[in-house]
Amino acid sequence: MADKIEKTSDKHYEDKFEFPLWKLIKQRAEEKGISYAKAAPAVVAEYTKTIKYRDPEFEDKVIMARAEELNELGKKEEKLGIKFKDKKSK
Amino acid sequence: MTDDLTEIADKVIETDVLMIGGGVGGCCAVAKAKENGLDVTLIEKAHIDRSGSAGQGIDHYEGFFTRDGTTTLENVSNEDWRLGRYGVRYPNLNVKYRLYKCQFWVFEQLEKLGVPMRWDDGEPYWIPFPFVGWERRKTGLRVHWTNIKPILGRAVRRSGARILNRTMAIDLLTTDGKVVGATAVNIRTGEFIVIKAKATLIATGKLMRLYNPETPMPWKYKFRYHFCPASSAGDGYALVYRAGGDLVNMDINAWTFRIRDDLTCSYGSFSLNDGVPMKTYTWDGEEIINPNATRYKQLEDEGKTPIYFGFDHFSEDSHKRLEVAFADERMLSFKVAEERGFNPKTHRYELQDLSPTGFYRVSGIYIDENFRVLRGNEPIEGLYAFGDGSAGGTSGVAGAATGGLLLAEDLPEILKDMDEPEIDISQVEEHKQIALAPLAVEEGVEPLELESAIRDICERYVGMFKSEGKLREGLRRLGSLKDWLGKLSAESPHHITGYLECRNLLDLAEVHIKACIERKETRGNYFRSDYPEIDKDMDGKFFSQRIENGKEIIELREPIPLKPEYLKDAEEEKAELQTADAAS
Ligand SMILES: Cc1cc2nc3c(=O)[nH]c(=O)nc-3n(C[C@H](O)[C@H](O)[C@H](O)COP(=O)(O)OP(=O)(O)OC[C@H]3O[C@@H](n4cnc5c(N)ncnc54)[C@H](O)[C@@H]3O)c2cc1C
Repeated sequence: MADKIEKTSDKHYEDKFEFPLWKLIKQRAEEKGISYAKAAPAVVAEYTKTIKYRDPEFEDKVIMARAEELNELGKKEEKLGIKFKDKKSK
Repeated sequence: MTDDLTEIADKVIETDVLMIGGGVGGCCAVAKAKENGLDVTLIEKAHIDRSGSAGQGIDHYEGFFTRDGTTTLENVSNEDWRLGRYGVRYPNLNVKYRLYKCQFWVFEQLEKLGVPMRWDDGEPYWIPFPFVGWERRKTGLRVHWTNIKPILGRAVRRSGARILNRTMAIDLLTTDGKVVGATAVNIRTGEFIVIKAKATLIATGKLMRLYNPETPMPWKYKFRYHFCPASSAGDGYALVYRAGGDLVNMDINAWTFRIRDDLTCSYGSFSLNDGVPMKTYTWDGEEIINPNATRYKQLEDEGKTPIYFGFDHFSEDSHKRLEVAFADERMLSFKVAEERGFNPKTHRYELQDLSPTGFYRVSGIYIDENFRVLRGNEPIEGLYAFGDGSAGGTSGVAGAATGGLLLAEDLPEILKDMDEPEIDISQVEEHKQIALAPLAVEEGVEPLELESAIRDICERYVGMFKSEGKLREGLRRLGSLKDWLGKLSAESPHHITGYLECRNLLDLAEVHIKACIERKETRGNYFRSDYPEIDKDMDGKFFSQRIENGKEIIELREPIPLKPEYLKDAEEEKAELQTADAAS
């Protein structure tokens, strides 16, 4: 997927795409004749069931993998002399 | 002059507790104070069902700093925090301590108010919060609170409190240095209201409108702020300042990345995404660590900006989480993103540049851990504040709700021996004259024009990179805007809001610039081009500003240290956690 991404935002705009969850919220709101805000809780509750929120093994794996990447990146930046703290006190 | 209040006011209310601001904090305080048997009056500039910064929803709740030892109470007494090494100068660490300490009680209280806190099987919505050691820790909740405000609104109505929606506080009423209530105006009808109260509570949100919003078309579009515009005019700060209370840290304002390519979409889960943070890129595609202000300035100097957030590393599962975060916090973002063709799967989101945003977290109303507003070292009788507008870490939903609930729990005891408030009628007359004046101005200036002029001064003469000459010029120009206030017109009572907000913004811009002139150093996100180094003598110190006998006072203060009993508590907790760690 990464190679499809342009560097700046120049060519990022897509003609058309839809967020699946937004589509479901709009559908329910229209069916029931209610606002999006009223429609959202029931739809979100169902949608969250398709997400691995309650799978700690999966979550730990992705969190740690990303943490590892960030640690590596941090080390690289440190080697380049990039400092995150303030300049030395006078 | 008359001594009969009813001749001046359209309505006079007498109450135990006056709550100004019906956001998250205000609603929690009102419901709890009613439960505790008090007579409570709530005035809200908008409507409690959707007002305030949580009006469109909330996606995460941070507060459980004591659980599992992630960020222990020890952090409250952390040296770096205390000394403000990163520019963060907490004026009173005891406030934070009190908030942390009662989080499980607050959890129960919110549940009692009808706020959903758990999955179907009863487990709290723990979020893997990735701050410390990047481990999965239970320090916050992943919440689906699109409707938190209607839920809290219902709880307040059920409580039987007196609710005045569309009612804006003008100023506080004082007698012999005590606060005895406030004046207000109904911004639909123009009704002028006096509220006499034993305790006046302020939770009116944070101050942001001295600077432009994060997204484009800044001048006329207040709805381009990340935070709710009605609760971003700093009304509470100005009310407290004019009543003699201290504002602190008004030289620094937060600098946080916001997403420019959207109506500032859900920030919490969007960037941290349940433990899988976004990637940050320079304009030419190099991945970098999400920069702080100092690093951003380097990137800017190196020609590496703008910078972007990318989600190309996300699994399908993470993308779904992102969608849920949109739904929870700002559903409008779906529409904006779709209409602009910003698909997070293929699009990188441009971040706001290095510009100031709001005054909160460590800036704002100076309070002690009992939420009493301070004048110098002494509390002002009858006046309390909490939530986004108070300095000391009471911001965010957790801070606002906890502040409101804790204070309301203490109120019966506080009010027990309090005298009936006495009102100074001349103040009431003065407030009425000020508030209703623009109704009589024909073909005057629109309030938003003045607001834009104030913002222009702050952007141009204060901004991110400050220097003596610019600040002084800004102050001079601000002075010349003061006459405009009398030229503002309100076609209908509705426009009184904008006028009164301008009045507040003018006062606060002056406070801000004067604090900046005093702070002659560079630290954290506070840049003085003419003083590029940290001044070690300023370690941990902050400015407080107030009016005393008509004179402006600016003082350099040290943070109020953690009380010995709290420190002991923190140390005991640390030892317990170490033992538990060793055992596991
Ligand atoms: C899009 C968005 C997402 C957010 N997401 C999160 C999140 O996930 N987690 C989190 O912890 N925080 C989040 N926040 C921040 C959170 O909403 C605030 O910290 C919280 O609402 C603060 O509560 P408060 O009561 O102090 O102020 P607010 O909720 O802003 O309420 C202040 C109230 O005072 C009223 N008011 C102002 N002036 C006057 C006056 N003169 N007279 C009468 N009434 C007045 C306002 O109309 C408003 O209703 C988010 C904010 C935004 C904007």
